[in-house]
Amino acid sequence: MSVFQILNLLWEGIGVSLKIFFLTLLFSLPLGLLIAFGRMAKNKIVSAIFGIYISIMRGTPLMLQLFVIYYLPYFAFKIPLSTFGANYRLTAVILAFVLNYAAYFAEIYRSGIASMPVGQYEAAKVLGMSRGQTFFIVILPQVVRRILPPVTNEVITLVKDTSLAFAIGQIEMFTKAKQIAAAEVSMLPYVVAGVLYYIFNFAVAYGMGLLEKKFGKYAIK
Amino acid sequence: MNTPILEVKGIKKTYGKKEVLGGVGFSMQRGEVLSIIGSSGGGKTTLLRSLNFLEVPDEGTICVEGETVFDAAWVKKQSKFRAKPEHQLKFGLVFQSFNLFPQFSVKKNLTLAADLQAKKAYAKDKAGLSAALAEISQKADDLLNRINLSDKAEEYPSNLSGGQQQRVAIARALMLNPTILCFDEPTSALDPELTDEVLRVIRDLRDAGMTMIIVTHEMEFAKSVSDKVIFIARGVIAEEGTPEEVFDHPKCEALRRFLKRDFASSNEE
Ligand SMILES: Nc1ncnc2c1ncn2[C@@H]1O[C@H](COP(=O)(O)OP(=O)(O)OP(=O)(O)O)[C@@H](O)[C@H]1O
Ligand SMILES: [Mg+2]
Repeated sequence: MSVFQILNLLWEGIGVSLKIFFLTLLFSLPLGLLIAFGRMAKNKIVSAIFGIYISIMRGTPLMLQLFVIYYLPYFAFKIPLSTFGANYRLTAVILAFVLNYAAYFAEIYRSGIASMPVGQYEAAKVLGMSRGQTFFIVILPQVVRRILPPVTNEVITLVKDTSLAFAIGQIEMFTKAKQIAAAEVSMLPYVVAGVLYYIFNFAVAYGMGLLEKKFGKYAIK
Repeated sequence: MNTPILEVKGIKKTYGKKEVLGGVGFSMQRGEVLSIIGSSGGGKTTLLRSLNFLEVPDEGTICVEGETVFDAAWVKKQSKFRAKPEHQLKFGLVFQSFNLFPQFSVKKNLTLAADLQAKKAYAKDKAGLSAALAEISQKADDLLNRINLSDKAEEYPSNLSGGQQQRVAIARALMLNPTILCFDEPTSALDPELTDEVLRVIRDLRDAGMTMIIVTHEMEFAKSVSDKVIFIARGVIAEEGTPEEVFDHPKCEALRRFLKRDFASSNEE
């Protein structure tokens, strides 16, 4: 079996992996910011609730969270999973990934926001800027610049984590490679999949590098 | 006598149990320059920050041109208190550490806040907005010219020397036409050879009639630039008067000791 044939068979799986990747980022990046706000809330109870959420999400394996979310409707409410239709698997995967990654991003945002010198807020205040303007125009761009390196790490981990979806039987690139390898009794599909993950991560690192360059034109204290 | 441009009465501020300001009051006329001197920890910064609503005093009032902009009686919860924008903008503040926005060019640092105000004021008037923005841009160019930094308009602040950054910070504060411009040790973070360029800008502002309050350890400068000097010790005004009175004929013992120490140390350098 040639590499091209393998690629052709992997194609469907690649699409799913990309979907998991991009949808997870699309939802978890903003959700992480909201969770970070919750974690930093002045109200101690609110802050504690978000703290517990973050610690559970970071303290338990993503694969376990995947199972819990996937099977929850059945075990908690006895609803057969088939009622949710064909896309339920993928939805559960993305939901679990979003909830998990948002917790990691929240901690990154939080430390980035906490590292901002108070003088930036004060300068904006004496210039008559509102709290919203101060945060989104003055603070957030500097926070983004500070957190790009840890975010890059998480995004690269996410590329590799997409393969975890196989655990609940979601066919993505890795599962597909496994099927082909079993049918063909060959290592080649794994090699092709590995190369694809690598290229994918290479592209991610390149893209994040461009962002870091764009944001890195100025120095921060 | 004219209504004072600024009238501060009975400002008190306590952190926990520590009383940092114990009832400070003074007044200023338009175009006056007031210097505030005193040893470290006396409460100078806290007073200046109170005027700029960065601290909320426990007691006291602040009136600008006869209008009360702060009254401690208004404050229900200090952490929630926020001055009205028009009151906030009566004052401008130049920080010791500049606090320019690093992600924006020098010119954008100047125009940012004014642009946001214009966008709000002309939300539904496109022509009005573009005229206002053009005016703001022109004003920024004029100010950059005035502080001799026209060639740095598109630079990031981090590419400027400390003295240049502080001049930009002054221009940024001037963009919003504050009634009173405050400085908290504007040259303390600078290398000695860079202080003059900043002090020169402040001197020019005085000559142009700007009303200013300057917290400073530069005694020679305070003496030559001010109309009035206040000596703060342990949270109260221990002495006040003209520069001649305060520097040449100090009455209280604390001030005499302070001046002796300060001039002695500046001679050693
Ligand atoms: N946020 C705060 N919490 C607790 N104490 C504070 C706070 N801010 C200032 N202080 C205390 O208030 C006192 C006065 O401080 P302030 O900064 O106003 O003095 P200063 O006259 O400006 O001194 P310096 O010449 O060193 O700048 C100091 O003892 C300081 O430790
Ligand atoms: Mg101070």
